[in-house]
Amino acid sequence: MTATAAQLSPDISEPHLASRGGLTAFLMRLAAEIRADSYMLVATVPNRTRSEARIVASNWIFDTIELVGRRLIAALARGPHAAAPGTSARPLRAAEAPALHGVLTGEEAKLLAVLGHAELYSLRLDVGRQRLFILFSAERTGSIDQAGLTRAQLKSCYALSQAPQLLADAAAQDPLSERERECLFWVSEGKTTDEVAVILGVSSNTVNSYITHAMQKLSASNRPMAIAMAVRSGII
Amino acid sequence: MRAQALSDASPDPLQTLAEDAEATQPLAIPDAVRRFRWIAADMGATAFGLYFLGPASERSRLVPCFDSDYPGVGAATRALSGSQAEEIARHARASTQPCWWAGAQAPGEKAAFAGLAWAHPVAPPLPQTAGIAFPVHADRGQCGLAIFIGTGIFLTDDTLCDIHARCFSLFGAMARLRHSEPERVRAMSRRELECLRLTANGHTSEEIARLLKLSVHTTNQYLTQSAQKLNAVSRTQAVAKALRLGLIE
Repeated sequence: MTATAAQLSPDISEPHLASRGGLTAFLMRLAAEIRADSYMLVATVPNRTRSEARIVASNWIFDTIELVGRRLIAALARGPHAAAPGTSARPLRAAEAPALHGVLTGEEAKLLAVLGHAELYSLRLDVGRQRLFILFSAERTGSIDQAGLTRAQLKSCYALSQAPQLLADAAAQDPLSERERECLFWVSEGKTTDEVAVILGVSSNTVNSYITHAMQKLSASNRPMAIAMAVRSGII
Repeated sequence: MRAQALSDASPDPLQTLAEDAEATQPLAIPDAVRRFRWIAADMGATAFGLYFLGPASERSRLVPCFDSDYPGVGAATRALSGSQAEEIARHARASTQPCWWAGAQAPGEKAAFAGLAWAHPVAPPLPQTAGIAFPVHADRGQCGLAIFIGTGIFLTDDTLCDIHARCFSLFGAMARLRHSEPERVRAMSRRELECLRLTANGHTSEEIARLLKLSVHTTNQYLTQSAQKLNAVSRTQAVAKALRLGLIE
C-alpha cells in the first residue's frame, strides 16, 4: 500500500492533490515526517442535536474505529485539546486519562492505548471557511515530533485548500447557498426579517424564503434550531 | 539583505514557546503591531497590515485592524479598503493558501515567490508592488488577512509555514480582543440554560414546558431572562450567543 501511495505522489511538497490516492499519499508522508503512526482527517457535520464526525481519510484499522466509536472520535477531534493553527498542540496521553476532565474515561483511554493510540494530537484545520480536524497518533508516547506539528498542520490546510473536490463528501456539511448563510448569520445577530431585507437589499419575502430553504436543508423545525445547527457546525 | 533575512527567519524554539505562552494572555494592539514588525523584518517586508473580512459575501471588503503606520493608516491600507482587494478577499474565504503578487517591476520577487510550492499567484491588488497575503481564521469563525508588502521579501517553504502560524496566533489574539470587549455575561441559572438548550434543539415553549414540567409562562420568562442576560434581542440570537460562548452544547 505504501509503495503504491509513494508512486502516486513523488514529493511531499508536490502541491497537486488531484486524486484520492494523492490525498492518502500526502497524509502518509506527513505522518511519517513527524513520526506519527496514524492519521485521521475528520469533518464535522450538523446533526439534529449535536454535530457528528465524518471520517474523510484515515489509516486507523477498521476494528479500532468500530471499537472506539465515532462519538468518541468526534470528542477527541473537537475536544479542548484541539489546537488551532498558530497555537502549540498539546498531546492527549492515554496514561494521563484520569486528569483529562470529561474528554476520556479511564476505560476508553486503556482501549486507545491497547489499540496503538497511546499518544494523540488533534489539530484544527481551517480550509477557507471550512473547518476540519486532523488526528495524529502514535503507539509510544513522546515519539511524535512536536515541533514539526505546526508545519504539518499548515501544509494540510494548504493541500486541502487545493483539493476542494476531495472534500466534496464532507462538504455536505455546508449545503447552504451563500445567500442562505448570510441570512442565517444576520438572524443569529438578532436582526429581524425586515432588517435583514434592508441589509441585503432584497425584499422580506425573499429573506423568508432563504431562511425557509435553509431550515429545510438543515431539517430544522424552527429558526432557533436552524441557527443552533449552523453555529454548531461552524457554517456561521 | 536576503542572507540577513534568512538567518533571522530560522525558528528559535524558545522564542516560539514564549510567544505562544503570551498569546493566550490578552494582547493589546501595540504589542501585536510590534510582533508584526518582527515578522515583517524576518521576511524582509517593508510594510504590513492586518485586516478582518466582513461577514457579507458579495461586498468582500477588508476592515483594517492595524498596519505598519500604526497608530496612523498607511497608503496601502487606504487602497486595499477599496474594492481592489476583492480577489484576495474571495480567495481567503475559499482557501488557506498564501497568495502573492509581483508587478512587472519586481522580476526578482516574482521568481522568489514562484519557487514556493504552496503559495498561489493573484493579480496585484496594488499596482507597482510585490507582496504576499496570508489568510487567517479565528476560533469563532472570524476570517482575516495578514498582508506583507516589499520588494525584498524572502521566504522558503518552511519559513512560509512558520510565519503563517505566527499570523494565525496574532490574528486569534486580535479576534479575541474584539470579541471580549462587549461580552460580559451575567451568571445564568441552570433552568435558563436548560430552556435555551431545548430551544436550540428545536423545541417550542409549549414542548419545553411539558418536558420540564413548568408552565408555558414560566418557560417564556426563563427564555426572556436568558436573552436579557446575554444582551440579545431575540431568543434566536440568545441561542446563537450561548452556543458561541460555550454555555450550551
